[in-house]
Amino acid sequence: MSNDTKTTTPSNPFDIFVIGARKGFNVAINNLMPNVLMAYVIAEILQLIGAMEFIGRLFGPLMGFFGLPGEAATVLLTAWLSSSAGTGIAVSLLNKGILNGTHAAILIPAIFLIGSQLQYMGRLLGVADVPKKYWPLLMLASIINACIAMIVMRFIA
Amino acid sequence: MAEETNLQTTNGRKVGIGAYIALFVAILFFSGIFMKVDGMKWISAFDFTSLSGTFGTMKDPAKNTFIGAGGVSAKAGFLFALSLVPTVMLALGCLEIFSHYGAIRAAHKLLTPFLKPLLGLPGLTGLALITDLQSTDAGAALTKNLYDDKQITKKELVVMSAWQYSGAGMINNYFAIGSALFAVLTAPVIIPLLLMFVLKFVGAMFVRFVLNTVYKEDFRDEQ
Repeated sequence: MSNDTKTTTPSNPFDIFVIGARKGFNVAINNLMPNVLMAYVIAEILQLIGAMEFIGRLFGPLMGFFGLPGEAATVLLTAWLSSSAGTGIAVSLLNKGILNGTHAAILIPAIFLIGSQLQYMGRLLGVADVPKKYWPLLMLASIINACIAMIVMRFIA
Repeated sequence: MAEETNLQTTNGRKVGIGAYIALFVAILFFSGIFMKVDGMKWISAFDFTSLSGTFGTMKDPAKNTFIGAGGVSAKAGFLFALSLVPTVMLALGCLEIFSHYGAIRAAHKLLTPFLKPLLGLPGLTGLALITDLQSTDAGAALTKNLYDDKQITKKELVVMSAWQYSGAGMINNYFAIGSALFAVLTAPVIIPLLLMFVLKFVGAMFVRFVLNTVYKEDFRDEQ
């Protein structure tokens, strides 16, 4: 997510709100909408060609451990590429009745803990100049985090 | 003939076999011939019209918003995303106000005492870590600056990046993107956020542990 650095910030709270709301509008239009649209289309393609069912069966046992249906694996796999797309898939599965509110609560921290790792390799690890040797370790830590999050949320949600 | 030559080298690139295949696929994709093939519903996954989907309808006007119910694919996704715009604008508008009045500075102050015992990081890294909660890019840039100014070691850089990498841009992403799921969550909205915050430490502590054991030799000069 790109945030413009503030140059001259007004002191009036209404104006400050408007600056934030404008950022929100930009995020929504430039990041959220294209990604959600893409996610809906991908979910539809996966559904039509029967991949959703296949992924559901393949990951069923693993996802069952976290109290999720197998199809939830598509949310996590997509979230790894982009949090927006992962969220979009989750919403689309909710609308299809494959996921429910409890599943969404279990998934939501995991979506962001492993979210957009592919993008952030460049935007974070690349920018901070972390030696490539440790990238897989950092990725593993994120996956462990996501798994812990799902286990914890299973008992809370 | 002149036109043909022109086509052959469009944009200075040769038109190879791949280009003709792409054209062929594009024609099939947009032609509509895959739209309804009896007994092969799956083939409509390669048809433009099918993928543009349908809007939902007002099945239950008392409950349905403008999104309707039962929409699929691009059209449903577009309307749904449009319905999120007000939430995102409100969330980021409010975050901007809280930040302006010092929420970030306060968070920095609260975080600092935990950095040394949990992550082995000096207090001055707190600002870069807290910044990451709002903006991945700004957090990464601050981290790089600390290293370039020789204020942190390579190992500290890796531990800091581990903290930032899992759940990067957490607050902004959660409220901007995650808000799509808020309405259906069966737990209070703050719980997943707190959990992610705690797990950022867990992940970074794990990385610190591995660096101190498996990769011990790499950082011998820094001890």
